[in-house]
Amino acid sequence: MRKLLAVLLTAGTLFSVSAQSNETAVIENVNNGGVASLRGITELDITRKADELKRVIKDRSPIDRDYVYQPPLIPHQTRHYEVSLNANKCLSCHSWKYAGEMGATKISVTHYQSREGEVLSDVSPRRYFCLQCHVTQADASPLIDNDFKRVDSLR
Amino acid sequence: MKFILNFWRKLTAPSKAAVGTVLAMGFLGGIIFWGAFNMGMEATNTEEFCSACHAPIVKELKETIHYSNRSGVRAICSDCHVPHNWTDKIVRKVQASNEIVAFLMGKISTQEKFEARRKHLAVREWQRMKENDSQECRNCHNFEYMDFSEQGPRSRKQHSTALASGEKTCVDCHKGIAHQLPDMSDVPGW
Amino acid sequence: MKLTRRAFVKANAAISAAAIAGVTLPASATNLIAVSDETKIKWDKAPCRFCGTGCSVLVGTQGGKVVATQGDPEAPVNKGLNCVKGYFLSKIMYGKDRLTTPLLRMKDGKFAKDGEFAPISWDQAFDIMAEKWKTSLKANGPTSVGMFGSGQWTVMEGYAAVKLMKAGFRSNNIDPNARHCMASAVGGFMRTFGIDEPMGCYDDFEESDAFVLWGSNMAEMHPILWTRITDRRLSNPHVRVNVLSTYKHRSFELADTGVIFNPQSDLAMANFIANYIIQNDAVNWDFVNKHTHFKRTATDIGYGLRDEHPMQAKAKNPNSGKMTAMTFEEYKASVAEYTVEKASEISGVSVEKLIILAKQYADPNIKVMSLWTMGMNQHTRGVWMNSLVYNIHLLVGKISQPGNGPFSLTGQPSACGTAREVGTFSHRLPADMVVANPKHRAIAEKIWKLPEGTIPPKPGLHAVAQNRALKDGTLNAYWTMCNNNMQAAPNMMEEGLPGYRNPANFIVCSDPYPTVTAQASDLILPTAMWVEKEGAYGNAERRTQAWYQQVKPIEGAKSDLWQLMEFAKRFKIEEVWGEDLLAKMPEHRGKTMYDVLYKNGNVDAFPISEAQELNDDAHDQGYYVQKGLFEEYATFGRGHGHDLAPYDMYHKVRGLRWPVVNGVETKWRFAEGSDPYVGKGKGFEFYGKPDGKANIIFAPYEAPPEVPNEEYDMWLCTGRVLEHWHSGSMTARVPELYRAMPDALCYIHPDDAKKRNVRRGDEVIIESLRGEVRCRVETRGRNRPPVGLVFVPWFDARVLINKVCLDATDPLSKQTDYKKCAIKITKA
Repeated sequence: MRKLLAVLLTAGTLFSVSAQSNETAVIENVNNGGVASLRGITELDITRKADELKRVIKDRSPIDRDYVYQPPLIPHQTRHYEVSLNANKCLSCHSWKYAGEMGATKISVTHYQSREGEVLSDVSPRRYFCLQCHVTQADASPLIDNDFKRVDSLR
Repeated sequence: MKFILNFWRKLTAPSKAAVGTVLAMGFLGGIIFWGAFNMGMEATNTEEFCSACHAPIVKELKETIHYSNRSGVRAICSDCHVPHNWTDKIVRKVQASNEIVAFLMGKISTQEKFEARRKHLAVREWQRMKENDSQECRNCHNFEYMDFSEQGPRSRKQHSTALASGEKTCVDCHKGIAHQLPDMSDVPGW
Repeated sequence: MKLTRRAFVKANAAISAAAIAGVTLPASATNLIAVSDETKIKWDKAPCRFCGTGCSVLVGTQGGKVVATQGDPEAPVNKGLNCVKGYFLSKIMYGKDRLTTPLLRMKDGKFAKDGEFAPISWDQAFDIMAEKWKTSLKANGPTSVGMFGSGQWTVMEGYAAVKLMKAGFRSNNIDPNARHCMASAVGGFMRTFGIDEPMGCYDDFEESDAFVLWGSNMAEMHPILWTRITDRRLSNPHVRVNVLSTYKHRSFELADTGVIFNPQSDLAMANFIANYIIQNDAVNWDFVNKHTHFKRTATDIGYGLRDEHPMQAKAKNPNSGKMTAMTFEEYKASVAEYTVEKASEISGVSVEKLIILAKQYADPNIKVMSLWTMGMNQHTRGVWMNSLVYNIHLLVGKISQPGNGPFSLTGQPSACGTAREVGTFSHRLPADMVVANPKHRAIAEKIWKLPEGTIPPKPGLHAVAQNRALKDGTLNAYWTMCNNNMQAAPNMMEEGLPGYRNPANFIVCSDPYPTVTAQASDLILPTAMWVEKEGAYGNAERRTQAWYQQVKPIEGAKSDLWQLMEFAKRFKIEEVWGEDLLAKMPEHRGKTMYDVLYKNGNVDAFPISEAQELNDDAHDQGYYVQKGLFEEYATFGRGHGHDLAPYDMYHKVRGLRWPVVNGVETKWRFAEGSDPYVGKGKGFEFYGKPDGKANIIFAPYEAPPEVPNEEYDMWLCTGRVLEHWHSGSMTARVPELYRAMPDALCYIHPDDAKKRNVRRGDEVIIESLRGEVRCRVETRGRNRPPVGLVFVPWFDARVLINKVCLDATDPLSKQTDYKKCAIKITKA
């Protein structure tokens, strides 16, 4: 009896495995020919398992820049930091007024210029939404390395 | 009818049994009253109760770290907005009767009306918490037991200086941590 | 003064440095800063490689490599700003896996559909391609070859490709990926105004009192234009920003009025606003009487699905764009049905909010700018919806004036310049002409110096139809260039993938990187990109911008233009034209297709001496090929409302907005005083239509094809994100951008997550009738869908959300609706 059960179970497992593989390989001739994309070499008709959810790096010291006009990356988490018509959480630390007290990086002088190049007394409204240029970084290694090289003077 | 009459007679007739029964009833009544009172206090402290009027704010809470976080310890409205100390709690509850009037008048019955009063409501809470040195924050976040070495450099810097010296209290920096912010244009620090 | 390139470079470096310092430099100081030996960075301008905004960037090169990029302070579009993608342009060409050699699927040294990719030479690559094309042409005729192009092609590349396909191979089976993004906008423009592209320009941003986003997340997709709206809103408290969408996104951060509406119900809201304007006596009668006609469009037109699809078969007037004239009274009666209550019921938007919206349009003192992108274009009634918004503006006469006007934003950097203006669509020719019109074909044949009858009159296969034809085996030799359509096209599992892998077909993919499309192809061609070549783009405000080649391509890579032209050399004209055509121009006998199409006295008219020293394409052909192509192309539009300036001019300025007449660009078309094509005393003239009048076209609300049901119980909406450009083939290879947005997540309402017993970070299976993908749940990200809808971005090659999407299109524009289909979500 026990033996029969084992056989049945194995058959069941086998059946479900084969059913599953039938389900994934739905299109004939799919074959990436050994070329990897950002997807890696997982065949295109395979439902790829999702990667782990990445965590945003928490509270690091400022990240080096690769060229002069590269916007600094955000070296901390920004969960629930509101930037809206009502409030701008970023400025409450990074504005010139508070940066010293808060030990935060001061925003660049370029941010005090209007569209016409006029220097303003406060941050230019066009720079208001910080996250359009400054982004947080997940704790993850790149999918593909990048061969960009800095100029000597910044190396 | 007859039964009640008999019972009354027994009570009016001074006997040991009567005294005992009266005492027992008083005790029972006390328990019932106290229980009901506390149940009332508890019931008016639940998220569901708050949601009845403050639905939009309660929704905002759900997006924040005070609702969902690593360890699952979470705050509900009353944790921050109702004093934990008994007498203060009673005072706050009595004040709340005012808010029932506001609710009946529909002062924040729509999102638009709520937005219009968001600043007013927020400022009042900040002021209250400033006055009690952010007591409701400290009910959970006890300064005594903060391990600065486990904090990020940014938090450590502020907590070990301004907070430690009493120059600043929690709510001075931690505004809008559980809700969206109102117009912050004239708020110090913004 | 003739500004040489070197002078330009110097001037720019100085200007940008001066901008940092906040000083004006004396002219004599420019040399010192620009050529200082310590810095050694050479600066030159180029338009950004990404979206349709068309920002100008300064590109810094050193030792043959790009070492820095920055916003161009001189550019009127962006005035020194870039978004995060633009700021990281410097790295897009240097992903470690750049392709450096052609790769062919082979077995035993020969091509095999099921073979492994192996390196071959360019010569071998063109050999096998030519063999496959010739076999296909011989066996099944010109309709069996096709090409899928791009709104990211340069103007010259798109133009060369149109000639190659329509005049060379005599196949109209060429379509750009812009079909997925701008076709409905084109449809709306042509039906309402008779001429493509916006009448207004970006200068409107600084003049407008109210902005209405009808289906656009500009904060993420057009960040630099959003900075201009933000500037306007925050500097002028009276300004109002209204954001309409089916879910809450970043643009809501600036919204005075945020509106979440039920999918497809924008049709009802737009009709309500028209009704409100009429009911409240806000019609600008002077304008309406002088400049408009009223029309109604055929209804129940299907959903662009395969004919046998049950939802398509049900339609009464499938694919009908028929319009019939009506009176104002009839129009009034048609929109009267859309009361505020009804609009509110269909859309789920409160009556109060609908009235707030309508009032802004109705008030003659409020200048309103309507803006939209994919929310309105990727819509099974996208063409209708575009016109419904035009209706509103026309009714109140708020159009073609500074700050007042409807503005269709563009997705890709040259969707306007290349796809639309050049006409790389299956039904189009340059300058808004179409293949179906014999007069238009004759004009093209004359300019191209080709015999009458060269261009086939029947429109070719559009994007979605190409994938269907590949699957059906009726399109066999296929070249996809400058796009990643395996990832981008809808219904990948039922149409795209079976099509590419059909043994009857030979698929060529040109790309700088190994994409998902490359993985499904048979031959991969390594391609030069962006500033590795000279080119020109045209942005959303009709601004044409050109750039010079600034670095040598990665070893082994060649530009799309070179590839197109070299391929043309592989065909004798006899192999692609019939005897009847040759008889009309016997002098072409024995020539190659390349000779006939490109060495025609126009394209090769400018000597190599006029080109830059660093211009691989020109040196490879022996003449200034980009200028020749541009100038021949420009003859189509000059004098016909599409005037372009002389090519060299574009290298001296930060772009010009066409029509450029007598060296002056046009800011507001159709308006007297601003547009040279408007007659004196006319005020406004919609000269795209024969009588100068625009159409107000009534179209009703009609339901979308696939709606959530008991089993597939949620809406799926797809789209882009700020940090990645389209399929991520460039941006996901920039480490900073990858880390900023590493994975495509399933943005879902917390209540929906709870109902399915999943929480943030859990893996879920997203499944439709067509396919499934797996990704992780985000309940508190930047996108906050309402209950019943999820948003999943499409940049992630590891997810491929288009396996799930429905290939329903607007029946008129053939543009896919990527914003609505029914799915179910289960815990993985």
